[in-house]
Amino acid sequence: MIKAYILLITYVGNLKAVLEELRKLDHIESISVVAGDYDIIVKARVDALEDLMTLTDNIHAIKGVKRTNTQVIEKEIEV
Amino acid sequence: MRIRKRYLFYILALSSACASAASAVVDTVVAHEFIANPWVYGLAFFLVAAPLTLLITLIISIPAGKRSIGARIDPSFRRIRFPRKEELLYQMLSALGNAAFTLGYFLVMSRLMEPSVVLSFSQLSILYLLIVESVAEKNAPTMAEVQASLIVAFGAILGSISLSGELDMEALLIVFLVMNPGTVLFAEYQRKLKRLKMDGRPNDAINIRLWNLVFTTFFVFIIVSAMDVKLVAESITASGTALSWISAGVVVTFFSIVLFVRAMGIGKASITQAVRASSIIFAIPFFIALSYIIPDITFISDPVLLLIRTMGIVLVVMGVISFALTEVKAYIFIRLEPGYPVTEIQQKIWEIKGITSVSATTGCYDIVAKARMRTLGKGYERIIRELEKIRGIKTFEWQTILKEWEEL
Repeated sequence: MIKAYILLITYVGNLKAVLEELRKLDHIESISVVAGDYDIIVKARVDALEDLMTLTDNIHAIKGVKRTNTQVIEKEIEV
Repeated sequence: MRIRKRYLFYILALSSACASAASAVVDTVVAHEFIANPWVYGLAFFLVAAPLTLLITLIISIPAGKRSIGARIDPSFRRIRFPRKEELLYQMLSALGNAAFTLGYFLVMSRLMEPSVVLSFSQLSILYLLIVESVAEKNAPTMAEVQASLIVAFGAILGSISLSGELDMEALLIVFLVMNPGTVLFAEYQRKLKRLKMDGRPNDAINIRLWNLVFTTFFVFIIVSAMDVKLVAESITASGTALSWISAGVVVTFFSIVLFVRAMGIGKASITQAVRASSIIFAIPFFIALSYIIPDITFISDPVLLLIRTMGIVLVVMGVISFALTEVKAYIFIRLEPGYPVTEIQQKIWEIKGITSVSATTGCYDIVAKARMRTLGKGYERIIRELEKIRGIKTFEWQTILKEWEEL
C-alpha cells in the first residue's frame, strides 16, 4: 500500500467546486482545506504507484485546479 | 461515501448517550422493584452480563453475506477472539475502573433513586479527564477549558437539587472519590485498547467490551465476596428472579458501550465524554415514561424545581459540548538540512505533544507532520517552539486546517 499527500493550489473562486469534485474520487483518505501556501491537502491511499498517477490525473482534470504537488510517504508514524 | 468524520462521531456518541439513558432507567426499575441491596445488584448484574455478552458476541460472529453481523456495528470486528498479550494490562486497568464505577453507581442509585441526578454528577468526570489531559500534555488549561469546566460543575450542582433542598453528602463522596476516577480509568484505557492495532487493523469495540466484562465480573466478585460471602449466594438467587430486567439492562449497556468505544477511537476521551453528556437529557423523557408505568417512582412535580433542574442539565450539556468544539488542526511541511538522519528527526518530531502523525516523504518537503491543539496560541507554545529546538530542520511551513473530510 502506498500513501501520499497531494497538495493543491486552486484558481481563486474555484475552491468550493474543486472540493465537491474531490469528494467524488476514490482512494482518498482525507481532504483538508488549509490556510497557507496551499489551498487543499489531500491524503491518498493507493495499492500501486500507477493508481497514484491515475488519481493525480483525475485531480488535474478537475476544473479550477491550478497546480498539484505530490509527496509520497516513505515512512509514517501515526496515533 | 465521504462524510465528515465529525458527523459519524456525533451519531455514535449520541446513540451511545441514548442507550446509556435507557440503561439508567432499567437500573432504577431493578433497584426499586427487585434488588434493594446495591452490592447484590452489582454482582448479579455482572453474573448475567458476562455470559449474555458472550452469547451476543457469538451470535454476531456468525457470517451473514460477506461479513459478520458484528461488522455492521463495528467494521473492524471479524469474530470473537481471546485477548492478546499486549491488551491484558489495559483490560485489567479499565476493568478495575469499570468495577469501581459500577459499584459506586449502584450504591448512589440505591440512595437517590433518580437516574438524572446520578448522570449529571457522573458528567463531572470530564473535569478529571481534562486534568489528566493537561498533565499528560504538560500545559495549563486554556480560558475556554476553565470556563467550560465551571459551567459543567455549576450545572451538575443545579441539576441535582432535590425537593427537600438537601444534598446527600455520602452520595456525593461516592461520586467524586469512586465513580468519577473509575470512569476516567475505564475511559482512558478503553481508548488505548481501541487504538491498538490487531494484525494491521484497528482493534474492535465488541471484543474489547466482552473481555472488559469478563475481567470486571472477576473484580466485582472479589470485592463483593470480600465484603460478605453471603452476598454472593444472594446475588446468584437475585440474578434469577430479576433475569429479564437485568438482561434488558445488559443488552442496552452493551450497545451503549460498544458505540462509545467506537466513538472514542475517533475523538479525544474528553470530547467523547462531552457528547455522551447528553444522556442526561435523554434520561428525562425515559424517566417520565417510567413514572407513569411504575407509580411508586415519582418525577418532580414542582415547576420551579423542574425549571432549576432543566437549567442545570442544559448547562452541563452546553459546557461539555463547548469543550468538544474548541480544537485546531494543522499540517506542517518541513525541509531538512542535508547531513541529518531523517528517521532520527522524525522520531524527535513525533515526541512533541500534540503531533498526531509524522511522515517522511519524497518530493519538495522531507517531512509532513500533522498536529492537533486547543488554540493556535498553544500551537506556537507547544509545537513551533519545540520544532525550533530540533537541529537539522531548515524551514517549515505551517498550514492551519480550516475544514476537513475523512474517509471512514
